[in-house]
Amino acid sequence: MKMWIYIVRRVLLLVPVIIGVMTITFAIVSQLGVGNRLVSTLGPNKFGYSPTIPCSRLVPNETGLCPNPAYYNGLHALGLDQPIWTQWAHYMYDSLTLQWGFTSAHGPTSLVFGEQQLPVATVLSWYLPYTLELAAISLALILLIAIPIGNYSAVYRNRPIDQGARILSFSGFALPSFILATLALVAATVIGGGFTPQCGNESFPYYQFVGSWPQPPCLPGGVYPSWLSTNFQSSPTGFPTIDALIHGQYWLAGDTLFRMLIPAAVIAFGAVASILRFVRNSMLEVLNMDFVRTARSKGVSESRVVSRHAGRNSLNVTVTVLGLTFAGFIGGFPIIEEVFGLKGIGLMLALSIQPPYDYGLIFGSTLLFTIIVVIANIIVDILYAYLDPRVRLG
Amino acid sequence: MTTPVVTTSGGTPVPRGKRPNPRIAQFKRTWYFLSRNTLAMVGLGIIIFFVFVALFSFTYNAPSDHLQLYCGTYAGPGGVPVNISGACTQVCTYPTGSPPPAPNCYPTDVNNPAIVPPTINFGTFHGGPLPFGSLEVANNQYFYNIFDGLIKGAPWSLGIAAGIVLAGAAIGLVLGSTAGYFGGLVDEIIMRITDIFLSIPGLLLVLVLLAVLGSTIPTLEGRVLVLMAAFVVTFWPTYTRIVRGQVLVTREQKYVEASRASGARSGRILLRHIVPNSIFPIFVQLSLDVGAIPLGLGAIVFLGYHIFPSQYFPEWGSISANAVSQVQGLITTCQAAAAGGTACIFPWWQLFFPGITLFMFAISVNFLSDGLRDALDPRLRR
Repeated sequence: MKMWIYIVRRVLLLVPVIIGVMTITFAIVSQLGVGNRLVSTLGPNKFGYSPTIPCSRLVPNETGLCPNPAYYNGLHALGLDQPIWTQWAHYMYDSLTLQWGFTSAHGPTSLVFGEQQLPVATVLSWYLPYTLELAAISLALILLIAIPIGNYSAVYRNRPIDQGARILSFSGFALPSFILATLALVAATVIGGGFTPQCGNESFPYYQFVGSWPQPPCLPGGVYPSWLSTNFQSSPTGFPTIDALIHGQYWLAGDTLFRMLIPAAVIAFGAVASILRFVRNSMLEVLNMDFVRTARSKGVSESRVVSRHAGRNSLNVTVTVLGLTFAGFIGGFPIIEEVFGLKGIGLMLALSIQPPYDYGLIFGSTLLFTIIVVIANIIVDILYAYLDPRVRLG
Repeated sequence: MTTPVVTTSGGTPVPRGKRPNPRIAQFKRTWYFLSRNTLAMVGLGIIIFFVFVALFSFTYNAPSDHLQLYCGTYAGPGGVPVNISGACTQVCTYPTGSPPPAPNCYPTDVNNPAIVPPTINFGTFHGGPLPFGSLEVANNQYFYNIFDGLIKGAPWSLGIAAGIVLAGAAIGLVLGSTAGYFGGLVDEIIMRITDIFLSIPGLLLVLVLLAVLGSTIPTLEGRVLVLMAAFVVTFWPTYTRIVRGQVLVTREQKYVEASRASGARSGRILLRHIVPNSIFPIFVQLSLDVGAIPLGLGAIVFLGYHIFPSQYFPEWGSISANAVSQVQGLITTCQAAAAGGTACIFPWWQLFFPGITLFMFAISVNFLSDGLRDALDPRLRR
């Protein structure tokens, strides 16, 4: 099969998956309760949002219960009085035409944004870059650890170094990230002394490791710079370190990077196990191949065999696994971001699923993450087929 | 004259008793390779230990003095040694600043558990009553013991984890073997649904499902079932994929062809030949997931979902998550105390013991899973 037919087929198969994900998300989230939805969108009401309320004395009723005007007006305002399939059609149409709606003014995110409705796409674009940067640093750390150690483990298979690497990587998998992150934070705090100068309440080393940015007293001028909005949205790119560099504040760039190092190390430690495993096993497979034996019999030195002949060829699988790992990372690290107080997308998502729920943000972020994962899957498959021509397409 | 017996193995029948059942032979072979793997054996030993703890926990009644504080010399507030002799029969939760209401009581500040000393029973950890899942937490009035919590939590944690993966694997086995064996449209439909569930962010799916289903259920058992159901929804697609991949290989084997040629129906081929021969790769994933589930439970508790908000529920993940939440708040308290010149005893034991339990369980399961993978894959055998 030709490459482009394969790609077109994969992209076409993507359509039912995305529609299915959207439908399932819609089906589940719409079960979260009309009451919650009315509260989070319209705010508290003196009648409450139950369908019926006790009648006033002027309008008696034999049951004593009258329809609640706030409830029905709210339903009508949000379009929830329409049949469920109409709502679904509206939701699909709006999502596919990139009208992702607004955050709820009275939902959980009002803790961050105040009582205002912000476009969901805008909120995602504020918080995604930070997570992307964190994910990139974590991935770099993973690569730095996994490729050399994985290759060593394969070469010295079942020797102490292999067993040690195995135990180390498994402990990363087996340690709960919330415990590891807290321990790392405690250790950093106790050892103390960060990059940030001691100022304000940052005389506690704790604050040198918690938060995406230093607290205002530590900043030049004592306030957040103008390119950093109150919602911690940095402009123009949104990537904190890059923005600080663009604005020439090298110290701040270094500090934001420094604050990402421990979280990134925790993430990398947790995720390195599977990648290390892939590197090791694919290297083992390649080392048993004929061309490696040929290279050895020609008298090529062992280090050159490992680094050049086998190393290059064993990376195919690793590349694909790395792609999927990175796609998974984009969903954010709610736990790590919560422990270290980082303003990333995972924290936002964890916040949006607290009652009374931020419906716009739940829908928007689910759709975004799904699209990213699905597209990453396709890219990885294509890349794999390209890197390894023996893979039969189709 | 009798007609010669013709079997699938050739002209002459092989005596039945001499030849071991091929599946038992495979099991023995796998066990042989597994038993030569030290790490896998260590892992298996730890798992068996935990299973024994879970069984033993039903007969374990927490000693009544676990609800009380131990007597002896402790580093008290400000690092000053406090010598308490005699019978400490009462848990005293009076503020550290005020005079003690009764003699021989250890002053305990409910807002700062850091001053509760580590005892031989792994220290106390305030937040709930001791007996499992029955008493209501009355705002830090009770103490429960981490050791007791871990023992009483063992059957819950192991049971929940095993239930989730077994249910997920069962669904995956049915759907995966159906998709793999029949192929065509059935395969396409099942695998697209699997893709859909694989693409939805797992944590979001679990939390939203719990919010939808769990909020209306009044009993602990019902809530635990909902919790398991929410996890099963995120776990089954992986198993379906694995089983389908394996069935696609098994389907082409000669013995399946032979069975079909001798007139067996699809149901028989699936149940007798394909499923038993495709089941082994599941065990690897199964054992991996068993280790991951308590960690996942801890993660969702940490993110604010409480399995049963009004009661103390001893489950390893929840205990760890509660401990972490408490310890997190203490970092700043302790630093303030240290900055003020008073010594601060950081309650490391609150974090350490639940953490090490989770860790030992997850890592031993991982060792076993890794050994199993090596034993089942001929290319990875030593």
